Amino acid sequence: MPDNPGEASAVVVDQVVRVFTPRRQPPVRALDNVSLTIDPGEVHGLLGPNGAGKTTLVKILSTVLLPTSGRATICGYDVVRATRQVQPLIGIVFGGERGLYTRLTARQNLEYWGALYRLPGAQVRPRANALLERVGLADKAEKRVETYSRGMKQRLHLARGLMGDARVLFLDEPTTGMDPLAARDFRRLVGELKGEGRTILLATHDMVEAETVCDRVTLIDHGRIIATETPRSLSQMMSRFQRVDVEGADTALLDEVRAIAGVMGVETEDASARIQVDTEDALRAVLKLVVDRGITAVQTSLPSLEEVYVGLIGDRGLEV
Amino acid sequence: MRHPARTLRIMRYAFLSGAQDYASIYTWKSWLGGWFVRVLSQVVFFALIGKLLRSDQQTWYLLVGNAVMLAAMEGIWALNLVNWERDSGTLQLLAASPSNPVVVFAARGSYLIADGLASSLGALLVVGLLFRLPLPWPRVLLVIPLTLLVGASGYCFGTFLAGILIRARNLNGIVSNVGIITFMTLCGVNVPLAAYPAPVAFVAKFVPLTHGLVAIRDVLAGNLGPVAGQAGLEAAVGLAWLGLCLVTFGRFVRHGRRDGSLEFAN
Amino acid sequence: MVRGVLAGVRLQLILYRQYPDSFIPLMTAPLYTIIFVMIVRHGGRADLSGYAVVAPAFISLWWFALFHGGLVVNSDRWSQTLELHVAAPTSFPAVIFGRILTVTLVGQLSFVEVWLVGKYLLRTPIAIQHPGVLTATLLATAFAMAATALFMACLFVLVRNAFTMTNSISYPFYVLGGILVPVALLPGFVQPVSRLVFLSWSADLLRASLSAAPVADVGFRLAMIVLLGAAGFAVAADLMRRVVQRVRNTGELGLR
Repeated sequence: MPDNPGEASAVVVDQVVRVFTPRRQPPVRALDNVSLTIDPGEVHGLLGPNGAGKTTLVKILSTVLLPTSGRATICGYDVVRATRQVQPLIGIVFGGERGLYTRLTARQNLEYWGALYRLPGAQVRPRANALLERVGLADKAEKRVETYSRGMKQRLHLARGLMGDARVLFLDEPTTGMDPLAARDFRRLVGELKGEGRTILLATHDMVEAETVCDRVTLIDHGRIIATETPRSLSQMMSRFQRVDVEGADTALLDEVRAIAGVMGVETEDASARIQVDTEDALRAVLKLVVDRGITAVQTSLPSLEEVYVGLIGDRGLEV
Repeated sequence: MRHPARTLRIMRYAFLSGAQDYASIYTWKSWLGGWFVRVLSQVVFFALIGKLLRSDQQTWYLLVGNAVMLAAMEGIWALNLVNWERDSGTLQLLAASPSNPVVVFAARGSYLIADGLASSLGALLVVGLLFRLPLPWPRVLLVIPLTLLVGASGYCFGTFLAGILIRARNLNGIVSNVGIITFMTLCGVNVPLAAYPAPVAFVAKFVPLTHGLVAIRDVLAGNLGPVAGQAGLEAAVGLAWLGLCLVTFGRFVRHGRRDGSLEFAN
Repeated sequence: MVRGVLAGVRLQLILYRQYPDSFIPLMTAPLYTIIFVMIVRHGGRADLSGYAVVAPAFISLWWFALFHGGLVVNSDRWSQTLELHVAAPTSFPAVIFGRILTVTLVGQLSFVEVWLVGKYLLRTPIAIQHPGVLTATLLATAFAMAATALFMACLFVLVRNAFTMTNSISYPFYVLGGILVPVALLPGFVQPVSRLVFLSWSADLLRASLSAAPVADVGFRLAMIVLLGAAGFAVAADLMRRVVQRVRNTGELGLR
């Protein structure tokens, strides 16, 4: 299906607002003047904590939900006014346990959706087979979905989203609840899809995932966009708030640590100390120092999403 | 029963929790407007056949049979208890607890007996008035304890079925529906046992409802002699199924623990 | 559109295979037949056996419309595939229609079943005196039944707790629909209400097709069934629109 001529972006979101009015409760502004663009072939991360509005935005873009105001286009087609043209272009991969017919086999699920995505009859089975192979479910294809593990269901979700050969894919927290190995495999698949020229919007609350997979990352919280960053700057932000926890360091050593450039602070409690560092260099210097002095109980950890947000807002004087 | 006081306490709590669950499904309005309308319609449906046959005797026979049937029906719904527990994830907890699961089940679902009694007597009264069923006073009061007996007896049978269904959760709906209609067919609800082939009539004597219904019909007809005997038989049948349940339930739970069917396997 | 309908048909057939509970009505119909036939025989009116055999078919039919139909959209809601359907290029109503069509056609098996039970199990062969009327009645009934099923499908997902009321809308309709005892024997004030239920027209016509006497007003009575069916479809179509609207406008009915 041809794009609207002259439209360079795959996804355009323009001042979208979405208000929910639940029964007997005050209205909720799930999305507040959200704007962003995604280039064709880009893997774009949508990073935010639970309740930030990620799923709401994904639903609007996938024509499931109408925006209260504002505009959104997929390959130049308006999601509200040109829904018919948008739907064949997109693939939806919602996460979790639901969204599949559990008493059907994987193959039956895929063939059903293949028909609904208007695949010519002769293509339905071959494509289902190819996708099952691709996501590694070929040998379990005849088993009922209710027997599947979380990771397997997630892979089936991805296969389902691809049955229509979507140009633009929406992935909503696809690796939640997956074990690290399965999550890594999944991300590899996402990379392959990018290589095929598909545009991908990945909604997640996992910073590491956003940093590893995406070309750009938009941070969202309480329905508002905070910033759009490259993974590199995201990574720098994360290292800004890294910390090193050590055991058994004496006061003299800790004074030396404090003197290192880039060390923001040292908190002590009994024999433990938490060292806050600002840069990768500082981190390396601290580690080298404590290890050289014979300290072996050393642990580093990354900041939480909240800490990164707070830091970001503090930095830029942004209001949230 | 080694600790009767403790057992009673367990039963009291179990009954209260069951009653609470039940109260959250129905309010007075929805019970009357929803459930009670249905039970009245059920009895009316069958009573009307008597009108088709142009016989008051037939009308009253069908009316009484189907009204009393309601008590047994609700009692037999005890068979759903296992699935209700399984769905809330409490079945495996129950199996792991030191209390005898039968005791807990029996108490938890016993609101069904009370509801069945209310439905049954209410239908008898209301539909009875509509069809001018003779309700001879004061002996008609005997119908109340007899109906309670039928409900309790059905409940014992239902609890036994609940045990069997621990391992066959898929069959729950089938057993429930087909089971109830089978009772409706065989226990003298719509036609007397004599109308059936002898082997069928024989089997019917060993399930709940059959004897209790005969007792109730005798009361209404003024034939009080055999009532005590039939009531005794109904009680015996109920206790026998309860006994069978107590004996087998534990085994089903153990099997369930072994093959994992106690879990919320959805 | 057609592909959507076919996809719905195929899905419903697979679901029928996977859920044995679906066939409960076909299991209980023979029992009901036994009950009703025994009642009329014991009452000395074996000539009413036709009535007794036909009634269980309507009980089954109603179950199919109520439960299977009623579950069609709601089950999608519970498995959270509803939103996925709204996002797909194929019309959601088309898929639902396909599923309802399957429910209706499988439901028609009820008539075949009771006829077989009557003939072979109870030795009560039912002579079809007016086969044309019978066929037309069955077709019209199937149409009205599909409308009912579609109506239930939408109602159950739009109205909170509607599904818990399914227990209550069986017997009242057996009485109002005159499926065993003809509406003419009901009290006068009930009869107009009964006439709004398509079952009453269907049951009357079906019984008439089994008796030797000529069938009066066939055209009018068939038209009533079709009319009630069409009205049902119109309401159901509106409800269907509301379902999709509710998903897209309010975000209710969707993923939690």
